[in-house]
Amino acid sequence: MKARTAWRYLGRPIVAAWLVVSILFLLTRAVSNNTSFIQATLEADSRLQLAEREQLTQQLLHRSGLDRPLFYVSFHPITGWQWQGIHNQYHAWASRLLHADLGLSYRSQNPVSELLVEALRYTLPLTVLAALLSLGLGLGVATGLHLTSPPRRTAVLTALQALQAAPLFLIATGLLLLFANPDFLDWFPSFGLGTEEETTAWWQLPGRQLYYLALPVFSLVLVSTPPLIIQLDGALQQELQQLYVVTARAKGASQRQVIWRHALRNAFLPTLTLLSELLPNLVAGAVVVEVLFALPGMGRLLAEAAATQDHPVLLGGVVLIVVTRVVAQLLADGAYRLADPRIRL
Amino acid sequence: MLVWASVGLSACSPTSSGTTTENIRIHWARDPENLDPLRVDNPSSFEVTNLLHCSLLRGNEAMLDIVPWLAESAPVTRLLGDSLQFVTYRLRPEATWDNGSPILAQDVAFTLKVMNAPGLPIERSQATFGFIRDIQLDKQDPRRFTLVCAGQSADRAKISGDFSILPEYALDPQGSLRSVSLPAIGKSGTQPAVQKFVQRYAALDLARHPERLPGCGPYTLKSWQPGRYLTLRRKAHWWADTLPTPPAELQAFPSQLTYQVIPDAATATLALRRGELDVYAMMPATQFSRLQQSASDKEKLRFYTADSYEFLTVNFNVRRPMLRDALTRQALSHLLNVPALIKATQQGVATPSVGLISPRIKAYYHDSLPLLTFSPTQATTLLGRAKWQRQPDGSWQRPGTGNTPERLQLTISYRAGEPSFETVALQFRSAAAALGIPVQLVAAEQSRLSQQLRAGQFDLAIRNLAGNPFSYDFTPLLHSQGIGVGNMTGFSSPLTDQLIEEIVVATDPAQKARLLRKFQLVMAYERPFTVLYFSKYRIAASRRLGELPVTGLMPGYEAHRIQLPTEASLQ
Repeated sequence: MKARTAWRYLGRPIVAAWLVVSILFLLTRAVSNNTSFIQATLEADSRLQLAEREQLTQQLLHRSGLDRPLFYVSFHPITGWQWQGIHNQYHAWASRLLHADLGLSYRSQNPVSELLVEALRYTLPLTVLAALLSLGLGLGVATGLHLTSPPRRTAVLTALQALQAAPLFLIATGLLLLFANPDFLDWFPSFGLGTEEETTAWWQLPGRQLYYLALPVFSLVLVSTPPLIIQLDGALQQELQQLYVVTARAKGASQRQVIWRHALRNAFLPTLTLLSELLPNLVAGAVVVEVLFALPGMGRLLAEAAATQDHPVLLGGVVLIVVTRVVAQLLADGAYRLADPRIRL
Repeated sequence: MLVWASVGLSACSPTSSGTTTENIRIHWARDPENLDPLRVDNPSSFEVTNLLHCSLLRGNEAMLDIVPWLAESAPVTRLLGDSLQFVTYRLRPEATWDNGSPILAQDVAFTLKVMNAPGLPIERSQATFGFIRDIQLDKQDPRRFTLVCAGQSADRAKISGDFSILPEYALDPQGSLRSVSLPAIGKSGTQPAVQKFVQRYAALDLARHPERLPGCGPYTLKSWQPGRYLTLRRKAHWWADTLPTPPAELQAFPSQLTYQVIPDAATATLALRRGELDVYAMMPATQFSRLQQSASDKEKLRFYTADSYEFLTVNFNVRRPMLRDALTRQALSHLLNVPALIKATQQGVATPSVGLISPRIKAYYHDSLPLLTFSPTQATTLLGRAKWQRQPDGSWQRPGTGNTPERLQLTISYRAGEPSFETVALQFRSAAAALGIPVQLVAAEQSRLSQQLRAGQFDLAIRNLAGNPFSYDFTPLLHSQGIGVGNMTGFSSPLTDQLIEEIVVATDPAQKARLLRKFQLVMAYERPFTVLYFSKYRIAASRRLGELPVTGLMPGYEAHRIQLPTEASLQ
């Protein structure tokens, strides 16, 4: 029984995660041209002679291990299937991955794990802050809507649905042009997190970080909160019509007590699904916000890696996100059981 | 909520010493990523490396030539046999390292040995400078040395001085590499001294920690947050300060330079307008034009343009039967409306050209050739001369191989997400459609497009090409040896191959000019690609800086020569 449970909760997700990253590895290498990332750099260098360029390309391919066969077997229309042995790209990559080595970036030659850790240093404060604010705001507004008049609730929901339709890029640019604009409200910095020269006392550091992160965080909050509120509001609406709510009211509970003590816990169940997406999203970062506000986080790292065919960085990022997703799903399963002990997964 | 945040946090906002007048803040779209002087491979890292280190020679755009930098004067070359040349340099006697010790020929020899040491990830430097086979130190003069170079072209002599010189005292204080000769070091992987040195060099991780390597340039690294910013501080005592009248290459005015990495153009423009940036080079045409028209921005900013050596081309794949003859390529070129395209994509700021030599280089530019005109009538005439016949349905055909007629229908490939390329493609399609030539647009992601171009899987392709005013070697681009590597059009002919080879070895300026003009004339007829225009770099800078020294070479300005106006000049 224990073995089956372990397989179900750990083995199966790990196998699924391995399959996902393996397929991604094989697909990215199979459909792209290995020499593209090298040629793009070398073409611009007029100092290199043609013969040297060819030789250099081969040397760089060799250093990256890209001159080996892709997989254990290969297929050629004339020769058919061929066994390539274990000296192939997939075997080398998988062996390194089992030793927690994600390889080196093609572009900078830095270890991918270092690049990911560095990017997370910028992404996590941004996304965690945005997630906490969204959650708090979502809970506050969704419960508050049921304490207000129906016309006001309708008006707020309509506004939220309009906001939900707006893309992140539009919202972030709008905030930038509204609140970091010398022609309008010049309240916030337009990019980055400042420089070391901007000396501040240690107790001022959190305030300084918040000052710089205000617009990126609000961009994310404005995008992530409306669906949370709309979802929670719908679930609450449904729960408030249940018999146990009638009973609570009959016992003299106020509307606020009914919502917070009785209905919210049940209404929160569908929202847990949304929240299970939260953890991988926190790690993956927000490409648009990070590019627009010049924050060197995970989103920007992965977007740049995709644009420049820096496969080790791209795959390293995906491995991290897949692992986080598996963990998030396990946590969500636990949270379901906590929220409603009757649930058996 | 934002109001609250602003009011609440403004108390915590930084005291902005980052905006002191001595600090000049420059925009970068991309982080250097790697600052090992032997591994630089992007414009940002080149820019920083040239401020931290010096090489023997350096390009000077005003003189349109490579000029001495660490070298005392231009090198003296002497040919040996039919495949080698000696290039003799002498280092400036004033040049010293930060510890006061002189920069000697021994440092150059050491640098070349590091560059050839096996096991370091510096294959690119090895390939670029692999033609330097040996170095001979002058026994009488410790600053004089001779490089033994393979190849006899003038370009090779110039390139031989284009690498940063490393300090032996800092990297190899024991002089462990002195006993190994340059030709031997590449084969000396098993020598313990070399192996130990390679391990020590790799452990320094100079790519991420350039501060561990003292350079002989005017600046040192103060701080670097990859992806965010990089700050350089001017050395209090730099060796070139002792020169009475330092040349432009050896001037370094700003006491501090901070490069801010901002990938998004709109954000960077906003930062410039807010005074968070002082210099924004390579500005998109639309943003630049908008700022120029704003009265408030004109008060705060100065605007510059510099003729670059980058040019936009429409390439014809001459391997395609319908594009194999020059007349068809000429005819199709007349469907490109260059003035309208310059207006639409560059806000009118670009220079049309007859070919691949910039009009700025008057000595070599063939100004007698006419600029390309937009003329569907001329195109029709030329198509007729190329034996294309208009069919009753409006399309064009000519007899092909066998009994199959050739139909004139084209694809035009370009990099996706590049508005100027797309505008060119749309204009061409529209003009071609009016003549009855169907054109299909193919937008592809950069790596995919490169792959297609190398494989010759295109009809027409839009490409940006870049040159420089110091070298005229068109071998990768147009020689038969370059087909499939850099020569994407597949064009070559015995005449052009010969011209390219003669241009490379020509040392007499008059002879070079004659050959280059002839080459442009041939190219104007053959048209393997049509040059639409040479771009201009657009640079906006804060008025708090003095006149910005702009250049047509990347990155468009000379950071080390930016000066803040003195009180006297302001008065």
